[in-house]
Amino acid sequence: MQDDDILDMLSVEEAADRFGRGPLSAAPYHDPDWWEREREAVFLRSWIHIGHVCEVPEPGSFVRREIEFARASLLIMRGRDGQVRAFHNACRHRGSRLVDEMSGRRSKLSCRYHMWTYGSDGALLSAPDFERFEVPREGCALKPVATEVVAGMIFVNFAHEPEQTAREFFGPIAAAMERLPVARATCFTEWTYEIGANWKTNFDNFQENYHLRFIHPRTGEQALGPENPFGYPTHYGFLGPHRGQKLWKNPDPPPVAGSLKLGYARVGELARREGLDFPKTDFKLFPCFHMVGLPPYQNYTHTMYPLGPDRTRGQVRMYWTAPPEDAAAAFTREFAAVTIRDVLSEDREAVEASQQGMAVIDHIHFQDHEVLLRHLYLEVEKRVRVHVATRTLAEAAA
Amino acid sequence: MSALPKGFAALEPFVGVWNAPDLAARAVLRDDSSEAGRLAFHAAMQPLVVPALDRLDGKQLDALDVAERRLFELLLAYPHVAMAVEVQGDAEAKHAASRRHMRITPPA
Repeated sequence: MQDDDILDMLSVEEAADRFGRGPLSAAPYHDPDWWEREREAVFLRSWIHIGHVCEVPEPGSFVRREIEFARASLLIMRGRDGQVRAFHNACRHRGSRLVDEMSGRRSKLSCRYHMWTYGSDGALLSAPDFERFEVPREGCALKPVATEVVAGMIFVNFAHEPEQTAREFFGPIAAAMERLPVARATCFTEWTYEIGANWKTNFDNFQENYHLRFIHPRTGEQALGPENPFGYPTHYGFLGPHRGQKLWKNPDPPPVAGSLKLGYARVGELARREGLDFPKTDFKLFPCFHMVGLPPYQNYTHTMYPLGPDRTRGQVRMYWTAPPEDAAAAFTREFAAVTIRDVLSEDREAVEASQQGMAVIDHIHFQDHEVLLRHLYLEVEKRVRVHVATRTLAEAAA
Repeated sequence: MSALPKGFAALEPFVGVWNAPDLAARAVLRDDSSEAGRLAFHAAMQPLVVPALDRLDGKQLDALDVAERRLFELLLAYPHVAMAVEVQGDAEAKHAASRRHMRITPPA
């Protein structure tokens, strides 16, 4: 199944007709009050990518994740039953941080303060002098966070009872992701960055090609041609809150630098050897997750974790089905990582500069080929408005 | 005694300069390199990339001997230098400043 079969693909005019034109308030890109509402309406109620099963390969394996937008420290742990769960990294006694390490493997987790001890499924196993507490042991398990694995990736949702499972939320995109290397990855290459920009400002950069010729004159030249000087996609696709695009294929691209050819010379052979077969994929998943498949061999994710109204941490991961077997595989992967990191590095400065003026321009302007940005904006705005209205009604009723 | 397998003597001057154990360390070598250093390594390594791949082809990475391991690490430094020389060109210094924000997670 290709992106075209999953997303409702529209021409640029059709997409603009559907989602509108004209300016929009810039406040959602910088306003602290808006961010607080967005945090509650979007980030505490959506499925967020926080890891991969290969990070917790065995029973008792765990990783710790600091999730700033939720003001939470999470433990993601594989239980003795093989299931991957997420818990708040807080002892149920009096809230002590349970684990300091970023990763490890343990059969039990003990709080150093009073030695409350938990199993890998989060259950309280023992607590000294527990009979003096007026609480059942079952009520003292580590506080869980809704967790689901899709295509090998671990997603969490901070809602007490999420409205949909992650698989329902992603719809047919889940099946498309199951075809990618990420679904059976055993390792990954990762880099992270912090940027002085709202998470949408940052994500928006990866949702339009308008900037390509200016910000990526060298690394992006393959995507530009005389008949499409901005390298605009041919179609924009939508599925509920998610979106994507169909890239234009340059019929007469400039010659590729000699060494890049060397870098990719063996990708077909490696893909066959590893049993990879996936189509070109570019899903922008709500709210802050970008999934890219570049056949025949590369697959990367880019997650944008908000740290505040004007700060974001980005995490990019290239997933591999196994550690490199030989020099050819290692060389190809090195080339792929260097190339993608080079391209993404070029965006950072422009995105940060873009954020700096947000508070003074009042309105932002999206052209028709920035319809994916508008779609994200509207999806976020819709959730914030519903959340505020619901809360207002609840307060009035109280 | 040669530090590299036979046929790769032209790379001897770069042993200890462009060898590094992982992606993060190789990225730092690129960031800290001079243009002259990059050009010299690029010129020497480019014609030897395919021979190096052929030389190491079919060998498990943990079965490489010391000389082959050195050659392998030089081979993996090449993509960094090739991007700098062939793609970034005179923008490399500015690009390096942006790239430093992208912190590669070292292997576990």
